[in-house]
Amino acid sequence: MIKILQRSGLALALMLFAATAAYADSNVYKLYVDGLACPFCAYGVEKLVGRLDNVKTVEILIDEGLVAVTMVSGKILDEAAAKQAISDSGFTLRKFERGTD
Amino acid sequence: MTISKIGAWSRRNALPLGMIVGLGVAFVQSADAHEPIFTPGAHVHSKDGHEISIHYNRDKKSGAGENETEQELALEYEYGVTASWTVKAEIPLVNKSLNANETTGIGDVVLATKYRFIRVDLPGEQYSTTALFQIKLPTGDDDKNPLLGSGSTDFLGGLLHGLESRRWYYNTAARYRLNTEGGGGLEKGDKVLLDIVGGVRPALTGYKEPDTVLFLELNFENSERDTLRGSAVADTGGWELFLSPGIFWTYRTYAVTAGVQIPIADNLNGNQATSDYRFQLSIKYEF
Repeated sequence: MIKILQRSGLALALMLFAATAAYADSNVYKLYVDGLACPFCAYGVEKLVGRLDNVKTVEILIDEGLVAVTMVSGKILDEAAAKQAISDSGFTLRKFERGTD
Repeated sequence: MTISKIGAWSRRNALPLGMIVGLGVAFVQSADAHEPIFTPGAHVHSKDGHEISIHYNRDKKSGAGENETEQELALEYEYGVTASWTVKAEIPLVNKSLNANETTGIGDVVLATKYRFIRVDLPGEQYSTTALFQIKLPTGDDDKNPLLGSGSTDFLGGLLHGLESRRWYYNTAARYRLNTEGGGGLEKGDKVLLDIVGGVRPALTGYKEPDTVLFLELNFENSERDTLRGSAVADTGGWELFLSPGIFWTYRTYAVTAGVQIPIADNLNGNQATSDYRFQLSIKYEF
């Protein structure tokens, strides 16, 4: 019984540590993009936004018209640069939002 | 037989073809949207976007004592100069058979450009209106029988409009082809091409998932009579109407498209061979 509690406590501590580390590292921006309709055409967004300085990952949710950009820790995404990248990929940036996840 | 001849020609010319493909790949970078199979779409590439395509076309005509088959294997390269302006070049390898005669070789090279001058972006949908200009160069051999090229420099201009949305698509195109005099004093008649297309995505898939769009096109073509040293040629010109189902399948930056044009009505002047069908299969890679 004590062993189970010890193991559970250790697991919980590890999970909390991982979550805290992920939160501290989180630097996610939400770009709401108009005109996005298909996976094939969204690739241009991934490519051009992904080329911006210090961009770590680019995830696209087409149904929501959402481009989630994760930056390298401590770096920010410049709104004007993001707007230009979206425009160059053939779409329109409707809303720029900084999130924590 | 005809495919094997294309294969033999390709083997002999594998090095230059490989160099062309290699050069295209070396430039590399983006992505275009869904374009119908036989109708030029209003969408253009993203800035600095590249696309390499290989198209296989097979057209068959018969009637009036003629049995004509044309096969084409074309290498196409497109580049997005800006988010509104795309340029394109196409080099075809052509095989033609007309009754007992058959020829194979490089056909007429096509250079084209599209400029999108209206773009309306809404959540999940995009409307585009685009101008198209194209020039066909007389690079195909016009001394062989049947001809591999027209021997003329021809021009095409058009206006394209379309919607691309999560579920539905439509495209319309109006084009005019101005032909000039080719070898032997023959000038093919100018052509008007009108297209209307509907499309649907049956299943709404996510990014990085395979995606399928089905198209149904109505393609109208009207040709004026050819002229030979200024005189109209009797058994030429007229119009044909095609119903064309097609499929556009993509996965990430790869696409496979296919469609068939089925003639449903025509009114050709005099006694001419009419279209039996036209088939196209394309493989595209965007970067």
